[in-house]
Amino acid sequence: MQTTPLWWASDSFWRKMAIWITGGSFIVLIFLTFDTLSYITAGGKQVPGYAVINQRIDYRFDAGKNRYMPVIGPEEPLFGKVLGEAEAEALVAKGKLTTQAKNCMECHTLLGNGAYYAPDLTKAWLDPAWGSKEVREQTMVDFLMNPSDKLHNVVGRRMPRLGITEEEARATVAFLKWMSAIDTNGFPHNFKAMDQSDPVQAPPAAAEPVQPAPPADAVPAPAQQ
Amino acid sequence: MIEPVHLADFFTVFFSAAMVILFGALYALLFAFSRVGQRPGLMPLAYLSYLGLAAAALILARAANLHGPFWTPVVGLMLAGYLAAPHFIFRLCVDTHLVEDADESSLFPTRQGG
Amino acid sequence: MAALGIFDTANLNGGQRLAVKYFTVSLILFGAQILFGMLAGLQYLKPDFLYEVVDFSVNRTLHVNAMVVWLLYGFIGGVYWLLEDEAQHPVVGLWLGNLIFFILTLAVAVVVLVYLIIQVGPGEIESIWFINEGREYIEAPRWADIGIVVSVLVFFFNVAATFAKGRYTGVAGVLVADLLALFGLYLAGMFFTPNVSVDQFWWWWVIHLWVEATWEVLVGCIMAYMLIVTLGVRRKIVETWLYIEVALMFGSGILGLGHHYFWIGTPDYWLAIGGFFSALEPIPLVAMVVHAVFDSGVHKLRNSNHPALAWTIGQAAGNFFGAGVWGFMHTLPQINLYTHGTQWTPSHGHLAFFGAYSTAVIGFFYLAVQKSRGNVWMSGNIVGGWKWKWAMFWLWTGMIGMTVALLIAGYEQSQIERAMEGSTWMGYFAAQAHPWFTQAMNWRQISGWGFTLGYCLLVWDLLTIGKRETRPALAPQGEPATA
Repeated sequence: MQTTPLWWASDSFWRKMAIWITGGSFIVLIFLTFDTLSYITAGGKQVPGYAVINQRIDYRFDAGKNRYMPVIGPEEPLFGKVLGEAEAEALVAKGKLTTQAKNCMECHTLLGNGAYYAPDLTKAWLDPAWGSKEVREQTMVDFLMNPSDKLHNVVGRRMPRLGITEEEARATVAFLKWMSAIDTNGFPHNFKAMDQSDPVQAPPAAAEPVQPAPPADAVPAPAQQ
Repeated sequence: MIEPVHLADFFTVFFSAAMVILFGALYALLFAFSRVGQRPGLMPLAYLSYLGLAAAALILARAANLHGPFWTPVVGLMLAGYLAAPHFIFRLCVDTHLVEDADESSLFPTRQGG
Repeated sequence: MAALGIFDTANLNGGQRLAVKYFTVSLILFGAQILFGMLAGLQYLKPDFLYEVVDFSVNRTLHVNAMVVWLLYGFIGGVYWLLEDEAQHPVVGLWLGNLIFFILTLAVAVVVLVYLIIQVGPGEIESIWFINEGREYIEAPRWADIGIVVSVLVFFFNVAATFAKGRYTGVAGVLVADLLALFGLYLAGMFFTPNVSVDQFWWWWVIHLWVEATWEVLVGCIMAYMLIVTLGVRRKIVETWLYIEVALMFGSGILGLGHHYFWIGTPDYWLAIGGFFSALEPIPLVAMVVHAVFDSGVHKLRNSNHPALAWTIGQAAGNFFGAGVWGFMHTLPQINLYTHGTQWTPSHGHLAFFGAYSTAVIGFFYLAVQKSRGNVWMSGNIVGGWKWKWAMFWLWTGMIGMTVALLIAGYEQSQIERAMEGSTWMGYFAAQAHPWFTQAMNWRQISGWGFTLGYCLLVWDLLTIGKRETRPALAPQGEPATA
């Protein structure tokens, strides 16, 4: 009978293995972190600079990549005002701070992370429920400032009044517009973005059955199944 | 990079993924019981579980579109890894417990071959 | 030594007396987690309930934060519990440990009151410093973050210094290194950035690497001690297996971070990394199954504390189903594209957190109660032994009920909201209004009542078990923990 274990079953061997595997994985993670940060800093390959809020943002299927991609379109400034990169960053920062101070993430999800009591906000800027692109900005601001008297849905869930000021609401809209331009590897899939094409190019209406109305009176029909 | 699952395959994906893990556990469990209790009769059942695992993994690979130069090798590695893991771990159990068996009058033979 | 069956701190060493304080607060916060979870669940059924009084976001924040804190208190208690035994030396800075306990508990109480009463602040940096950081799981305002960092540092110092002065075992080595990682990783979550992708990138460092790496190892260390004490397994074997566990856990867990980096703006190579590690994820679980069977064959489960052992077995099963089966079902990116951010996540989250951690901490509670009552008998035929069994039954039945209900809701949501309706506002509510969803929410709430009943029985049992026992504990076979 043996009293010392075989080398490959000994505690000293596995202590070294634990240290090497942990250290090795961590070094790989650090390397990947540096690489990833180059993609996700604003203005990187997948996350746009803040001045992107001056442009039209769309979300369409890309056949080459086989997934949905944000598409940056012509100039379409937010609240009719073109902002420099620094001004845009300050506005988005204010909006992001507001989403944290109001704890949005504990009802909504952002990039799919958070709680699940309210809709995902990743592409909220592009949601057809805001009506048309002409009324969208103001509808969003009004909704954020005073949501509780507006009908949201058939399940009776309503967003509470969180004391959001007009300045905070506009900044939050800027944050949401900027977030919708992030390339999220195709999440959410199959998202049906609002029609943002200019009126002259728009096909005559009534070909499609009823576009959803703004959330103020949006009442989705209960699912048929 | 990925081909998203088709709506019709959702259930297949969830179910076969769960089966991969459950058959994997069953295989490990039967394998270990067979060796510990020296009941060779359980071993065919263990390998039958592995066959179940392999079938579930292949169904999963089909439904979740796990094909192409990256995902096909991942599936191959899953199949090989799950097959070898219980053997490897059991051997490790036996060998790490040699010290104990030395003074506990050996509950079962320490080396039975892999 | 006080009489058998009587609760007396004279039965405990200094570290263990401190541990009992941590365990007490931990158990109370477990109750708070259940309370706020039940309120949040009820709001799914009755959206006007407490609307604009205590909104869903407030209940949900308290629900998840109470969970993080009660488990952390349980782990800290567990470490103080074993510290003097393991180091063969009194805790070096016990007074400091006590002081920090009171400061930390006071801070937790203040944070809870601010969440409940002030709830939200203006969109200024001061809100993040004093009210709420607004990031799921780590909502604690910045002042409290700093407090947590200081507390963890003091805790680290107490543990490291006690081991350094006493016996520096293999368990000690893993524990000290792990606490250092626990401290370091928390710092990664303490900054503000307007960039939501960068924010969530580091946020996952804290959440994933805490929960799926350092916590696992912390529990592994405490379990290692429990195996030595309750089952009398030889130290050398336990320590070898602790190292094996660390190697497997960190080897799969650190880069397993990849499965959180699919959709937050990070490059698509994370789909490959996350998918690869998800596919290999079951291997540590297979190792656990084989080893557990092997050990039970060797030790025949003769043990001195039946409730603790039962919860430990429950831990293995819960970890297997929660992390293994429920994780693997929706973690490959090909399907996660649809399941991410639906009720799939809470279904997995509930079972995995309860299975891997709550069960372990409840096991420590039973060890603590046994020793506090003078190392009383806790094997077969415990006086009033029905209570621990029924507590366990209801906690598990409630948890499984909630998990299955959420699974059904998530399944429906991934199909209707995500795949068919394309994740819009309308799509979201179409899925929320579907009978599969609404009925699942009812069953979740009913199961929640079962879980609450289990909790009440657990508290009652922990307060009374061993009270009328006159038999001393069964001595474990093999090497005693205290040489």
